[in-house]
Amino acid sequence: MNNQNLDLKSAWITIKEAFPILESPSKIPDNDFDSAPFEAISIIKRLNLTQQIQDLVIIKIEERLRKEIVPDFWSHFKKTENEAAVFHEFYSVVKFLFHNYVQLDLIINKLILLREASNFTKPVYNQTCLHEALKLIVRAVLLSQLPIDHEWMIVNFYETALKMQDPEEENSTSGECVVCMQEEFSCSCREMFEETNKKLGKMTLLEPLVGQALTDLIYSYIQTHIQKICKDNFDNSHIESLEKWLQTVVISWLKKIYFHNSAVKAMDEFDKKLINYLYNTYTKIRIDQLFNIIIEYPDSLPALDDLRLCLPKTDLKPHLTRSLQKAIETRLLHPGVSTFDVLTAYVATIRSLRILDPCGLLLETITQPVHQYLRSREDTIRCVVGSLTEEGPNDLAEELVRGEAVQVDENISVDEGVEDWETWTPDPVDVVPSKSSGLPRTSDIISMLVNVYGSKELFVNEYRTLLADRLLSQYSCDTEKEIRYLELLKLRFGDSQLHFCEVMLKDIADSKRINQHIQQDLSYSDDDIPMSAMILSAQFWPAFKDEKLELHEKLVKQMESYTGAFETLKGSRTLCWKNHLGIVDLEIELADRTLNLSVSPVHATILMHFQDQNTWSLEALSKVMHVPSTILRRKLSFWQSHGIITEPEPDVFYLQEEQENNENNIQDDIVVEDFESESAMASAQDQREEELQTFWSYILGMLMNLDTLPLERIHQMLKMFAFQGPTIECNLQELKVFLDRKVREHQLIYSNGLYRLPK
Amino acid sequence: MAQNFNPFVEQVPENVKQAESSKKVSNDNHAVTKRLHKELMTLMMSEDKSISAFPEGDNLFKWVGTIMGPKDTVYESLKYKLSLQFPNSYPYAAPVVKFITPCFHPNVDTSGNICLDILKEKWSALYDVRTILLSIQALLGEPNTRSPLNTTAADKWKKKEEYKKLVLESYKEV
Repeated sequence: MNNQNLDLKSAWITIKEAFPILESPSKIPDNDFDSAPFEAISIIKRLNLTQQIQDLVIIKIEERLRKEIVPDFWSHFKKTENEAAVFHEFYSVVKFLFHNYVQLDLIINKLILLREASNFTKPVYNQTCLHEALKLIVRAVLLSQLPIDHEWMIVNFYETALKMQDPEEENSTSGECVVCMQEEFSCSCREMFEETNKKLGKMTLLEPLVGQALTDLIYSYIQTHIQKICKDNFDNSHIESLEKWLQTVVISWLKKIYFHNSAVKAMDEFDKKLINYLYNTYTKIRIDQLFNIIIEYPDSLPALDDLRLCLPKTDLKPHLTRSLQKAIETRLLHPGVSTFDVLTAYVATIRSLRILDPCGLLLETITQPVHQYLRSREDTIRCVVGSLTEEGPNDLAEELVRGEAVQVDENISVDEGVEDWETWTPDPVDVVPSKSSGLPRTSDIISMLVNVYGSKELFVNEYRTLLADRLLSQYSCDTEKEIRYLELLKLRFGDSQLHFCEVMLKDIADSKRINQHIQQDLSYSDDDIPMSAMILSAQFWPAFKDEKLELHEKLVKQMESYTGAFETLKGSRTLCWKNHLGIVDLEIELADRTLNLSVSPVHATILMHFQDQNTWSLEALSKVMHVPSTILRRKLSFWQSHGIITEPEPDVFYLQEEQENNENNIQDDIVVEDFESESAMASAQDQREEELQTFWSYILGMLMNLDTLPLERIHQMLKMFAFQGPTIECNLQELKVFLDRKVREHQLIYSNGLYRLPK
Repeated sequence: MAQNFNPFVEQVPENVKQAESSKKVSNDNHAVTKRLHKELMTLMMSEDKSISAFPEGDNLFKWVGTIMGPKDTVYESLKYKLSLQFPNSYPYAAPVVKFITPCFHPNVDTSGNICLDILKEKWSALYDVRTILLSIQALLGEPNTRSPLNTTAADKWKKKEEYKKLVLESYKEV
């Protein structure tokens, strides 16, 4: 027994020699690579203590890790300012850990020998290989003591390393390493970096310790890179270069890190994740820029193409819809933007979205608010028609030339297009469904614009007004160009709608002919005042603005003789002159100078009256010309600004033959009337007035029959029986103003909140 | 194309069916409404201020009409109100027209019913509110005394003074 005791004691000593860690966790032999503890192993084997010794050793290893190595390791993870220091710190701390790990591994080696010798195969921590068990223990202990801000140092380390790698962070021009600021050849930072990764890899600590930080870092790296590339730059396609960049820069760098990690498969998956992230980030950035991209269409085509390619790979369509809608709302649909710009943006949107989403559902969803908004703007139609026919490069004019008849979506059967059912594809499900999703969608821009109002008539009418304006204001009108446009419009709007415009153009052409005929007529002479007339078929022209004007008798005579000549030429027809329209070429000979001017008939008439009589009072002139004095004063100011007429005393005007001083004769304070810009057509306000007149007939009708009615009831009745068409409307406020006016004019009586007709 | 509905709005096809079945009924109605709207517009735009009519309320099928007594008759400067009730089959059936203002007249009874051939057997779809009102206006000046509803009026028609007195007596503005 005693013997055995002694035996046991010496055996324990031998074992302790073989595993010095058993004595004290910090006691590590420095060099005992060769000395295989065969003696101890045979003792243990003999005593059948393999498991107990192994467990003891492992406990001691754990203790050492827990109490010394790991706290020591983590204690270095502190925030410092110096980046280069962080790099080295991390390097050395990993080195330290690895060194300890290797030492522990030596002990494990001995344990393995022991296990082999005693045929002991029971796994430790589910690991049959003790090396793996050690790694597990190291990992577990490390992570159990994870300090809060450990990532900071890791991130910093890899960030610095990435900088070292990044070809764009070219510090290499100066030949210096970004970390240690030493000459490239003498710098060992790259080696240090690789060594660190290698060691971490060997301990399988790379993924658990660094993985998350690295992923975050790479993500933010990708993001900043894309942002840098995409900033205000839409005219290049980036997908290919980005993918290449990802492969050559990011992934190759990651491979370097994970090189020692056997998990190639994991790396492949990481690849896919990164590519997906790349697309996602790129798409998101492009979506954020989408409004600008659209505005810069077609220069931004490459960006749009990129986006089109990216969208199917990501699930960002709903995001796109929302963000674009919001961008349009905040940047486009407010009073600060002119209608023309809204239209331009709208056209660009249609074109861009046509590229992004050929099926048109996206377009429909996004442009819905724009439609509504455009409908609320008064000058939309005018703008559209104006730019349709405007000269010069213009989106809408181009669209017009593209052809295709306008489809106003009132009565298009839903079953249309059944013939090509084979090519039918369902609507994508990721777009917000809209109410009208059953309707066939069109991406023809002009159709869409016309559909904003749902009526061709409004467009055609507006076109007619503009055409009339143009024909009458430019006396030398390019009829051929107009005819060409008209033909184009006819393709879209149909012959019947534009018949009126055709007549208008024909009138202009005919006028030229008739003028020639009349001039050849021997009984007619216009030596005194040469004259040519535009002969318009009143039925087909839009309403003219009506202004009263009595022309000078000389002119009247000339016109009478012209009318006579016309009557002989045309038999049963006669002319009805619009005195206030037209243009007069004047040569004004004054005492000291001669002026050549083209002015309106009113201006000419004024001057002709002054030719007869040097002085006129405003009132007298107003009587002669049948022009209200306020308007006449405005017209006179035109001549005042030319220094031909003065107003030395209020309301009395003199012809001024000689200018008093040449320098400053044009008085600044007189507002020169820009008469050229005036439209010959009835203005929108006049037309409104006409509409109100229609309402008035209805109001008279209802009051005549129903005696008394309150405002709301009148409005309601009008809405029910009188308002037809989408724009002819009148809100309560406007109606009240109108009725109040009628009350003031004694055409209505208002009492107790009720309107009635006077007896 | 019916399949081309977005799955999110599945209920649509059902509604369409419902709408279709109710369309037939409303379609005919629609033609009548359209015609009445048009008649109203012509009436409102006409220069003739001696006759007038307007829908009474929200119902387009019930109108109130006004006619002024024709010039140079005993009814001159008197204003008569009438009610017009249009059937759904209008204009293929005549509207029911009655005087609201009491009217002393051989062809008008005490409850306002009018005996006028074009409102009965001689009705044609070519007539409209305007022609009806004009006819009634003309009837005031030229009664048909051979088939009277109001025999007193028919008897007194020849005696202008007495007749006029009775007209004014019975007249009461609404």
